[in-house]
Amino acid sequence: MTAAVEFQTVSRHFGPVRAVDEVNLSVAEGTFFAMLGPSGSGKTTCLRLISGFEKPTHGAIRIFGQDVSNTPPNRRNVNTVFQDYALFPHLNVRENVGYGLMVKGVGRATRNAKADEMLALVKLDGFGERKPGQLSGGQRQRVALARALVNEPRVLLLDEPLGALDLKLREAMQDELKALQKRLGITFVFVTHDQGEALSMADRLAVFNHGKIAQIGTPEEIYSRPRTHFVADFVGSSNVLPPDLVQRLGAPPTWASLRPEALRLTAAQGAVLSGAIIGLRYLGAGTRVTVAVAGAEIGVLVPSGAQLPEAGAEVGIAFDLADLHPMEEA
Amino acid sequence: MKSALLPERGPGDRLTAIFWRRPRVLLAVLIAPPLLWLGVVYIGSLAALLLQSFYSIDEFSGLVVREFTLKTYGELLRPANFDIIRRTLLMSASVTLASAVVAFPIAYYAARYATGRWKAVFYLGIMLPLWSSYLVKVYAWKLILAKEGIVTWVADSVGLGFLLDAALALPGVGGNSLSTSFLGTFLVFVYVWLPYMILPMQAALERVPKSLLEASADLGASSAQTFRTVILPLAMPGVIAGSIFTFSLTMGDYIIPQIVGTSARFIGLAVYQLQGTAGNLPLAAAFAVVPIIIMLIYLSLAKRAGAFDAL
Repeated sequence: MTAAVEFQTVSRHFGPVRAVDEVNLSVAEGTFFAMLGPSGSGKTTCLRLISGFEKPTHGAIRIFGQDVSNTPPNRRNVNTVFQDYALFPHLNVRENVGYGLMVKGVGRATRNAKADEMLALVKLDGFGERKPGQLSGGQRQRVALARALVNEPRVLLLDEPLGALDLKLREAMQDELKALQKRLGITFVFVTHDQGEALSMADRLAVFNHGKIAQIGTPEEIYSRPRTHFVADFVGSSNVLPPDLVQRLGAPPTWASLRPEALRLTAAQGAVLSGAIIGLRYLGAGTRVTVAVAGAEIGVLVPSGAQLPEAGAEVGIAFDLADLHPMEEA
Repeated sequence: MKSALLPERGPGDRLTAIFWRRPRVLLAVLIAPPLLWLGVVYIGSLAALLLQSFYSIDEFSGLVVREFTLKTYGELLRPANFDIIRRTLLMSASVTLASAVVAFPIAYYAARYATGRWKAVFYLGIMLPLWSSYLVKVYAWKLILAKEGIVTWVADSVGLGFLLDAALALPGVGGNSLSTSFLGTFLVFVYVWLPYMILPMQAALERVPKSLLEASADLGASSAQTFRTVILPLAMPGVIAGSIFTFSLTMGDYIIPQIVGTSARFIGLAVYQLQGTAGNLPLAAAFAVVPIIIMLIYLSLAKRAGAFDAL
């Protein structure tokens, strides 16, 4: 099957800055694909390369097998939900949603009917006459979504669409977006810097760092088997153990990752790893206890309800060797 | 132990306290002087002018008859006077249109692409002509456009003299040379008022986020469609603001048509002559009311057309 979106050693340089550096990427049709990374990691530039607002310095981009290097944005069958929503302030909600149909020459009646249909899909029935300025952030977000979907794009691009919403609304929208994608079967490419969002929504995700993809895989793979120090750190703050420490634990001497929730606190005597507690951070569902072990700091997630030691106490750390995942590099 | 309140330091703190307790006092203090200035000096004299226009002049004695009448307004409709109004209106409209067309690319460039040093160059380039005397500029243009001037010389030396001759042969706007034709008056008006069109346009365009243009392209619009359906409507308040300047400045000007152009009169010149040499203050006042009425009509039409929807 042809991939919905394919990058072949694509680079985008801005002067000396390599915003996107020889990225290879393939997004299967009908998947919810997330691009995750800190700001400046190249994820948004990748999205803009797909929509056509940036041109690759090197390499080729294919959308459903077709090279789009010379295709301007208005002729690509992809639509974007912009980070700031980019709703037209002089048009009302219905005209905003119908804009894509209007510029394609669809008549007013059909256009309005389709726009209303889309507004119903995003639960904004009856908001057609309002101006974007009269809507809340969450409502604007839905209008932006409806405006993109009314064109029935083959790929929908979402640029940090939930960034401006408050936590409760964001969680509700995450569920809705996911459900919408399942229902419509359109390929979604979603850019975010929020690892929780990426893990919970995506079928597959790519972790970006310094213009390169650090790792690509299912959320489960990325979370439990981070390949690099960066991924381990960025996605759920894993513990990263240096090779000498890993060797002491009885595993081959490579860098390795260890999830905080896979660890238990024990008595200091007889434990393979032990040290003094240097920090306790209450997280609601649990407490993250930081232990200074020779050569490393290790975080342990202690579930709520369990007994917590005092700061400064000497403790041991127990775990299954199966939870120690070797990494390719530091 | 430290007190919960900080010590009062003097009259400044006492005044601040008064303003904090009664915010309206501060507002009143700030707004009263300009309001008096506008209300009494400006609106007052405008009302006096309006009053004058309802008086008439006694044709034998040349004295102003202080009785309410619409006779003076009736005089505006006499062919000689109506011609002046029509001519001024046409000139103002064409100057405004031309200014908008010339200003748009400049304003667009400045708003979209110019950054840092180029932005400074832009502002300097636009403002610099405003710093030198208006009279000097107009006389300079008279020389530039004269029969022996640089425009004729350049046109002749590159073999385009025939184009210039063809333009001057146009009925109604042509003439002996550019400096003695309506075409010349038009060119100088456009030059002199152009900055007043560029600046508000640039300010309006600057407020249009780039993402709106991208959204338009993303939704399938061509560049022309984006211009028509997004850029132009959003820039409209700026275009209207600029056109208020160019339109009303052209309508009121009485210097440029005197120096560059034919001897045909414009409203400004008519007002100037009527209140001075002719001593017909009522008719001068009636003439002066015309631009006000025209601007009001223009603005209400613009409002009805939705020019201010994006404000």
